[in-house]
Amino acid sequence: MDEDAPSVTRRGALAGLGGVTATALAGCSERIWSRAENPAPEQVELTIKTVPADDDVVAAKVMSQLRDNLREAGINVTHEPIPEMNLYRDVLLERDFDLFVVRHPGFDEMDALRGLLHSDFVNERGWQNPLQFSDVTVDERLEEQRTADEDDRTAVLADLFEYVDETTPYTVIGFPDRTGGVREEISVSAPPTRPVEYYRLLSREPDDGPREDPLVVGVFGEGLGDRLNPIVADRTRIDGLLGLLYDPLARPVGDDGELVPWLAEEIDWDDSDDLEATITLREGLRWHDGERLEADDVEFTKECIEDTSMGSVEGGVPAHRYRSRQTVAQSVERDDAHTVTFSFGDANRAVAERSLTIPILPKHVWEPRSEVVAEHRPEAIATDNEEPVGSGVFELTEITSDEIVLEPFDDHVFRDSSNDRPDVLSEFSQYSGLRFQMYPNPGSMVESLVDGEIDITTGMIPSTDLEALSDASDSRLRSEPSTSFYMIGYNIHHQDLGNPRFRRVISRLVDREYVVSEFLDGRGEPATRYSSLAGFRDDEWGFDQPSELSAFPGTDGEIEPGRVRQLFEEAGYRYEDDELLR
Amino acid sequence: MSFAAVVLELAAMVAAMLATATLVVVGPRRLAAALTDARARLRPSLLPASVLALVLLFRWGTTDIVVRLERGVIGISITPLLEYVENVLLPINPVLALQSLQTPELTAYFVFIYIYGYAFLLLFPFVAYFALESADELRNLILAFALNYGIGLVCYMLFIAVGPRNLVGEFEGLLYIAFPESGLLTHEVNQNTNVFPSLHTSLAMTVFFFAWYTREEYPAWLGIAGVIAVSVAISTMYLGIHWFSDVVAGTLLALFSVYVARQYTVEELYWNARGYLATRIDRLERPGGS
Repeated sequence: MDEDAPSVTRRGALAGLGGVTATALAGCSERIWSRAENPAPEQVELTIKTVPADDDVVAAKVMSQLRDNLREAGINVTHEPIPEMNLYRDVLLERDFDLFVVRHPGFDEMDALRGLLHSDFVNERGWQNPLQFSDVTVDERLEEQRTADEDDRTAVLADLFEYVDETTPYTVIGFPDRTGGVREEISVSAPPTRPVEYYRLLSREPDDGPREDPLVVGVFGEGLGDRLNPIVADRTRIDGLLGLLYDPLARPVGDDGELVPWLAEEIDWDDSDDLEATITLREGLRWHDGERLEADDVEFTKECIEDTSMGSVEGGVPAHRYRSRQTVAQSVERDDAHTVTFSFGDANRAVAERSLTIPILPKHVWEPRSEVVAEHRPEAIATDNEEPVGSGVFELTEITSDEIVLEPFDDHVFRDSSNDRPDVLSEFSQYSGLRFQMYPNPGSMVESLVDGEIDITTGMIPSTDLEALSDASDSRLRSEPSTSFYMIGYNIHHQDLGNPRFRRVISRLVDREYVVSEFLDGRGEPATRYSSLAGFRDDEWGFDQPSELSAFPGTDGEIEPGRVRQLFEEAGYRYEDDELLR
Repeated sequence: MSFAAVVLELAAMVAAMLATATLVVVGPRRLAAALTDARARLRPSLLPASVLALVLLFRWGTTDIVVRLERGVIGISITPLLEYVENVLLPINPVLALQSLQTPELTAYFVFIYIYGYAFLLLFPFVAYFALESADELRNLILAFALNYGIGLVCYMLFIAVGPRNLVGEFEGLLYIAFPESGLLTHEVNQNTNVFPSLHTSLAMTVFFFAWYTREEYPAWLGIAGVIAVSVAISTMYLGIHWFSDVVAGTLLALFSVYVARQYTVEELYWNARGYLATRIDRLERPGGS
């Protein structure tokens, strides 16, 4: 090395390097700055949550069709099957989801939409507005239908359905029939899901003569007997079980869902001013633990649903369920030990009647449960209610890992046939009780039916398992329309799902006809009209034309990418390298 | 078929398999000799056996709490990750590839392996190693089982995942379609979120690795165990119960458990753990220590 050459010091080298870098940066600085400041458009991402196929094979299939179609449409989709109970917790309690596919038990009345969509419930839990949807027009219509008289109400609701179709906070795929297997000697049109269907089933003598044994009902799933709390949403359910244990003041048991007084002896409606109902309770009502059922319990139930903490949490902790029914009644006043008066303000009769179908809770059991066990979590919400004290004609006597046993509650007023019983109970009961036999999967339940171990199955049974019934000698396949439906719910707070035009395109990506014909073997009905896309199966709303949402852009469950691409582009989205960008 | 009937059938079938294998592999003479000396041969296994019993008892006694803890508090949902690994990272999806080979005979074979073959595979080594002169293998095997099970349970608590059969559309739940009553059995010992790792694979592979070490004494067993163990691993995927990742994790768990069980005894593990903790605590107590 030449000695005269200036030695390169570290400092000098660094300075040189810095200078070079700065010069280089100056040249293309605008490009770098732009890139740093303006993030490039990104591919749209969605996560779909649903139950595993073990819990509901149809939901899993709908989800997988939707997932494939979304992928095909250039969306980055993750899908997450999670056990039923976790799904309810994620979706209904924590609102931690983008999209979910689930079977909804069905609405009891049109006013139930108020619970699902009204902004009043946006911060509540359970099926109270889990989508976090808030829209002034929807709120207005929901309030109007609550007070309108019968003719006006139909018009308001028709308006509402049309508007809900436009905004699509959720979408209904279709209505599965309740389908299952029944022993030949039992004549019933379909597996029971509601208490009234159980009453009818139990009131009919089997063809092979009276039974000394209980009726055995097969159920399948996980953790079915673990959580028997009637006012929470985070539990797996046996349809109808808690309804059998907890009686309401009146049950919708008539042919058109017409209300029949149950715990109530008499319901006196007075609409001379504001609508009021004075309810006289039946004589001699008792809880399963022997305490008297009185007007206090009725008054208490309303308070408990409204605020399970009974005032100990500021702002209250409403129950996960029955809120929209409870909010119909402005006040519930105890007149004497056997009489209560419900005041409904300007609500109409059809809506008001809903508040009488809430299961009545025993004050002496649930009042102590208002104690707060953790932040915003009263015991009433936390409890599993392992030993339910209800007032129904059955009481729960035993739960094991594979069965739930209900025995007749002999002190119930309806057990005495000399009493004035509702017509549905006139032949009640031809069995000594009711037993739910639990199975880990639908297949083993169907095998048990064929072997004669159970009388009837319940739940959504995959068609592969139903095949076993077709060649069975003494079991029959039975099926009948039901109100429950498969739905896709959208999280309105998601950056793309907040856009109704985006939701409308997504809502079209399930082939509803195909779902019913292939996944349900034709036992069901696709949602095609404004009302059915909102969750009401019966179409008496004068919507003759099917909604645009039910037009599937493809065939046999598979989309035509070009058509879907066009739909997204019309909604203001664009594509690059077959990826949908926002 | 009721649960009792399923269990009875399983017991009868496995007993017949055990009896045959004992006659052929172990031989009556060796067994008779072992029986006269039963006490001495069993004594060294007492400690690992009680550890295994403890693990099983813990599992049986705390199912409620563990499930609640898993589902509600610490469980991480990894199904999307597993699906991503299998569908995107791997060139072909192993479960899909296996299920594409589906025939009724193959399904029958794998259902048989998954239930009866597996039960036989786990039980026979107890008989075989009891009949050995040295009591070491039996002791090590039991410890390896306990390790497998214990570590597996911790993983089940940490990870919530469901098997491929739950993603219908692509995969089929062949086991429960072909043999629904088996659900009564598997339900009794498992929840459907206990997927990662595959304990079926890990326990089967553990037996196979042990068979390798005892190939001198039982050459025939090495072949039998190999065929059954590999079939069990494949069956979990073929039947739609497990992902390929679960099977890989299960095999790694087996390797680890076998290594530890053959390297250390329960006492050594205990003293090592104790020694480690003692130095830790010592360091904490020292002034200025952290």
